[in-house]
Amino acid sequence: MKNRTYTGQWLSDWYSTFVRELRHIFSDSGVMVIFFLAGLAYPVLYGLIYMNGTVDDMPIAVVDRSGSSESRQFTRDLDATRELHVAYSCADMPQAEDLLQKRKVKGIVMIPEEYGDRLAEMRQATVSTYADMSSFLYYKNLTMGANQVMLKEMREIQSERFSAAGYTPEQVSRLIQPIRYEENMPYNRTFSYSIFFLSAVLLIVIQQTMFYGVSMLTGTMREENRSFAVLPDRFRGRGISRTVLGRGAAYWLIYMAIGTYVAAIVPRLFGLPQNCSFGSIFVLLLFYVSACVVFSFTFSSIIRRRETVFVLFLFMSPVCLFLTGFSWPVSSFPTFWKLFSYIFPSTFASQAFINMNTAGASLSMAAPQIVALTIQIAVYYLLSCIAVFVENHMLKSRTAQARQSISSGI
Amino acid sequence: MDFIHKVKAAVLRELRLMRQRPIYLLASVGVMAFCTVFFLTFLKDGMPDELPIGVVDNDNSSLSRNFIRQLDATQLGSTVRFGSYRQAREALQTGKINAFCVIPEGMYEDVLSGGQPVMTLYVNSLYFVGGALAYKDLLTMANLSSGAVQREVLRAKGMNDEAIMGQIQPVVIDAHQIGNVTTDYGVYLTNVLLPGILEMIIILVTVYALGSELKYGTSRHMLEKAGGSMSAAMIGKLIPYTALFTVIGIICDIVLYDWAGFPMAGSIWNMFAGTFVMVLACEAVAFFIIGTLPILRLAISISALYSVLAFSLAGFTFPVEAMPPFIQGLAAAFPLRHYYLMYVQEAIFASGFSGWYPQIIYMLLFLFLPALTYKRLHKAYRLQNFPRK
Repeated sequence: MKNRTYTGQWLSDWYSTFVRELRHIFSDSGVMVIFFLAGLAYPVLYGLIYMNGTVDDMPIAVVDRSGSSESRQFTRDLDATRELHVAYSCADMPQAEDLLQKRKVKGIVMIPEEYGDRLAEMRQATVSTYADMSSFLYYKNLTMGANQVMLKEMREIQSERFSAAGYTPEQVSRLIQPIRYEENMPYNRTFSYSIFFLSAVLLIVIQQTMFYGVSMLTGTMREENRSFAVLPDRFRGRGISRTVLGRGAAYWLIYMAIGTYVAAIVPRLFGLPQNCSFGSIFVLLLFYVSACVVFSFTFSSIIRRRETVFVLFLFMSPVCLFLTGFSWPVSSFPTFWKLFSYIFPSTFASQAFINMNTAGASLSMAAPQIVALTIQIAVYYLLSCIAVFVENHMLKSRTAQARQSISSGI
Repeated sequence: MDFIHKVKAAVLRELRLMRQRPIYLLASVGVMAFCTVFFLTFLKDGMPDELPIGVVDNDNSSLSRNFIRQLDATQLGSTVRFGSYRQAREALQTGKINAFCVIPEGMYEDVLSGGQPVMTLYVNSLYFVGGALAYKDLLTMANLSSGAVQREVLRAKGMNDEAIMGQIQPVVIDAHQIGNVTTDYGVYLTNVLLPGILEMIIILVTVYALGSELKYGTSRHMLEKAGGSMSAAMIGKLIPYTALFTVIGIICDIVLYDWAGFPMAGSIWNMFAGTFVMVLACEAVAFFIIGTLPILRLAISISALYSVLAFSLAGFTFPVEAMPPFIQGLAAAFPLRHYYLMYVQEAIFASGFSGWYPQIIYMLLFLFLPALTYKRLHKAYRLQNFPRK
């Protein structure tokens, strides 16, 4: 009998905390901007910014000093690649460098005077490329385009020579390519920037917007002298789990909805590959959103004033993005930063999302990340309970002190 | 003379506030110091090395073992052996390796008999840097091993080594990277990311400084201190921050181009000038935001949304010209975009004033923004008629 009352009381306390928190969230325009405007609009905005995904037909200048039929062939082949477009033919390097500096072209290919002669003499010929390093995509395009043409040219020259030496076409093919290779880039065929960037950033948006929103509300409560940790008097300081779980449920509910939109609908809107079922994504979200809630509770407890969270912690958004290893590979992380990255749920969730949604890994293959998220949930839940306990304790002693000073004053 | 006194009083008041509230220094100096340490140490290798590349060796011959040894010997890659295609694919899908190759059974025999065996390369291009580099490494090694077989054949025919090279690789590419000779990823990113962080700091801290007068209802006191002059109050308020941000920006330039030795084709003094103009432009944006929305809580949220976008729209990762046209126009609304273009002209091409003066003009154009909301903010300061909470 007593037990049932306890459970009933627990549930009713939990429910009232939950409802109160929802009311706080929905009556705060600043938090609404962060949760809904940022949470809903940012993924779309990023999708639009990177919509094209690749830089095709990047303008380059060719300085053809050779003027031979071979060099003209090389130039035509460069123009034919998907990556490059020969926008200018220049007579000399200074002219091409000027175009590069004026940013009319993003790279220069220089074919030296002796190019044709050297090939005719069956000696090695050199082609020089100059890449504008202001963006690595320019460099990648020039390198990939030029290499492709170089390989094509190599095979043609070789086969011409062997044919001239009297070999049959089959023998020629065997000689040129004794080992053939086949390339497979199953998950992102064209090295599309939008697939690469969106896959990583989507889940970051969830964690960051939630953290900022929770911190804003915590700060507001502190400013209004109602701490996030105030427990109803009848709890006698023992209702910590009710408070944490009740508040948590409010954010959890909102973010399961936002998360589903971000991780399942946005990819569809922008034609991102979706190589796993909605069910798997949803399971990942269950863990990730829970981890984000307790993560936000833990770290928001140090926020004293409403607006300071942005001023102090906005820079963590790009930092968290790098810590997912989407760009600089995890295998090259310095040890300290690798350990540091374990603090954030986004590190594991983004990796799991990239692997599952885009590379088609199964949920069981994401087990290490799910385990890591579970550990985070346990640790951060404990920490957020401790935060409530400590805060509540401090509040009590403060009010007790205040009372004492008032009574002694009298 | 009187005006100068008013400004001085406002400056002194602001300096006192900055001393009293640690948030101003923490959010500027603290954040910048953390980010500088983070990006400089995180990307300190410049170029990843020893990337794990998987190999499934179904042949297990001297040829395949030699291929694996050669691949392992490259600075870029280090091989990881897998027993089956399935295992390797799972490692690829979970991002443990960025690429792998399958060496077919009987490859060596096929090469000898002229059967042209096919080696299959799989690349996970979701991880841009690791994927692209591992791909490049595998491709080079695959072509080299074909070349090695050809070399043996030609050697047997009695060709000399120079002629052999002219045959197995008739065209060589001699690649030059302007502005970043070693293709250092750290140089490329840090040079723009740190000014981006600075931009973020300037906008947030300025909005916070201007807006907290409203939130804490101290704006009338501020105007009073400045002898009732809004312009004196604003100039006085912004002078300490302008000085602080400029010093941070210049230290950042010195750290990058002098201490860390990042390539600088032009003059560091010009970068100082560019940094200073960017500081002014960002403050102007902040003034515009808080003037339009004189409610700190909303203004700070909007500033946060705005300043995070600058990283994407500066166009140093994905070029602006490849974005949709309506987004390209939006990019011009970010001081960081103009700063980046100026940095390219100065640090990469050393084109000097004639190369980057348009960018300076664009950044200076931002200084007209405060004029649009000046009156509105003044009214808000006087009347305190906007909700504080």
